[in-house]
Amino acid sequence: MINLPKKPPPSLMVFLGIPAAFLFSYFCFSKVGFNLSDFRENLQNRYIVTDPLFNPKWSWAIENASEAIIETIQIAILASIVGCFIALPLSFYASQTTNQNKISFFLYKSFLNLVRTIPDLFWAMMFTVAVGLGPFAGVLALVMFSLAIMGKLLSETIDSIDPGPLEAAKSSGASHNQSVFTSALPQVLPNFTAYFLYIFELCIRASVILGLVGAGGVGRIIETQRIFLRFDRISPIIVLILVVVILIEQFSVWLRRRIL
Amino acid sequence: MNLPKQPVQQKVLKYAITSLIVAGSIWSASGLEITLEKILKAPEQIAILVGAMFPLDLSQEAIERILPKVAESLFIAWAGTVIGAIFSFPIAFLAANNVAVNYVSEATKQILNGIRAFPELILAFVFLPITGLGALTGTLAIGIHSIGTLGKLSSEVIEGIDEGPLEAIKSSGGSKINELLFGVVPQVMPTITSYWLYRFEINLRASAVLGVVGAGGVGAELINQLRFRDFPRAGTVLVATVVLVLTVDTISAAIRRRIIKGRSIKIDQ
Repeated sequence: MINLPKKPPPSLMVFLGIPAAFLFSYFCFSKVGFNLSDFRENLQNRYIVTDPLFNPKWSWAIENASEAIIETIQIAILASIVGCFIALPLSFYASQTTNQNKISFFLYKSFLNLVRTIPDLFWAMMFTVAVGLGPFAGVLALVMFSLAIMGKLLSETIDSIDPGPLEAAKSSGASHNQSVFTSALPQVLPNFTAYFLYIFELCIRASVILGLVGAGGVGRIIETQRIFLRFDRISPIIVLILVVVILIEQFSVWLRRRIL
Repeated sequence: MNLPKQPVQQKVLKYAITSLIVAGSIWSASGLEITLEKILKAPEQIAILVGAMFPLDLSQEAIERILPKVAESLFIAWAGTVIGAIFSFPIAFLAANNVAVNYVSEATKQILNGIRAFPELILAFVFLPITGLGALTGTLAIGIHSIGTLGKLSSEVIEGIDEGPLEAIKSSGGSKINELLFGVVPQVMPTITSYWLYRFEINLRASAVLGVVGAGGVGAELINQLRFRDFPRAGTVLVATVVLVLTVDTISAAIRRRIIKGRSIKIDQ
């Protein structure tokens, strides 16, 4: 007879957690009004949407939306560049490897966390109120969005760098700033470039919906056509955006492979 | 000292990227008509808005209005994640190229890519005329988008498994179903569960936004208060959202860590 080790009993967390998750799911579905028979009934109205959606008006979209799509791309380019370059120094302050001061480390880290908590469209709404409707509000919103992501990704990368070069620079008489600049920055620069391209892709996707709250870009046109249920005009715009997004992604994948 | 020279190609690449970045930002800034004057005025304007939000509106009426909306965002996010998890799980097996036949996995992957390409907000307003204003629309939009993202992530987890246990099951006479059930599922379950939770965190932010198009949740509240220039109340909405997201993030991150690390087990001799 083999002496197998005893199977450990399920932990309390698993014991309570799984039923709790099921109960919570049931509660959520009842709260959001999920009801299969209603749903099937509603599905009979689908022709309001699907008929126009699959009869796209291409000429209208190309004529009216191409300028707005370029505006969307410009918002994404500017915002990702500005946001990432603001995040570059901030992430060195938000990492314990390069910032020994506990208090300022904590402050920078919580600032980045706070910015990350607020969704992009909430930023856009607030900036449209603060600086007025238009693409400038959209740029500011996406600056916050990319600042938050870059801050998190880059500060975590800085946490895990090799501290040897930092020490070497310090022992040969460099000040703290000099040692960070000469030994920490070059270590994370390739990661920074890769993250930047990734954030640029995210910004392109995010900038499409900014217009829904009046922050510029192609979302503005989508919003006005959506209110009139002109899905025949929206669907070609969506396809155009998809094509642009895919092209930019391909470009960024190519560039990332060149750099890394 | 005789230091080696920096390779020329690297230098060229560096200058090319720098000039690309500079040219890109100039082209964008001029196209969007962003002037120095606008930029200099912005901090003051933002300070005025933030100043108008404080002190927050914490009256009974405001809280009674806002809290159910914030809770609704939470419910939408969870229900959407459950839909995504249930449907993405079997799809992930079809998309994994070490479990499914090659062409099935290729086709499934393309379908998942297609689903993922549509942002939740666009899905939401496509569903809006069908399922009506309210939380159900938001749930469906988030659920469908989550199928795409979770399906991709889960299939990648399945592709990365250790094939040893599968062989062991096969050699002791197990069927294909046995292989999946006892060879694949126990290996991938912890990672996939932690991805579900991670997706839930993302979906919470997305569901907060969905209210903008009327698909339920706290977003509608924020946009209405801002439109009516009731800034203290808008501030309350914002703070409530931040508190909810931070709380959920912390709890979910703790559970994820526990799932991945597992429990420390005392072995009695």
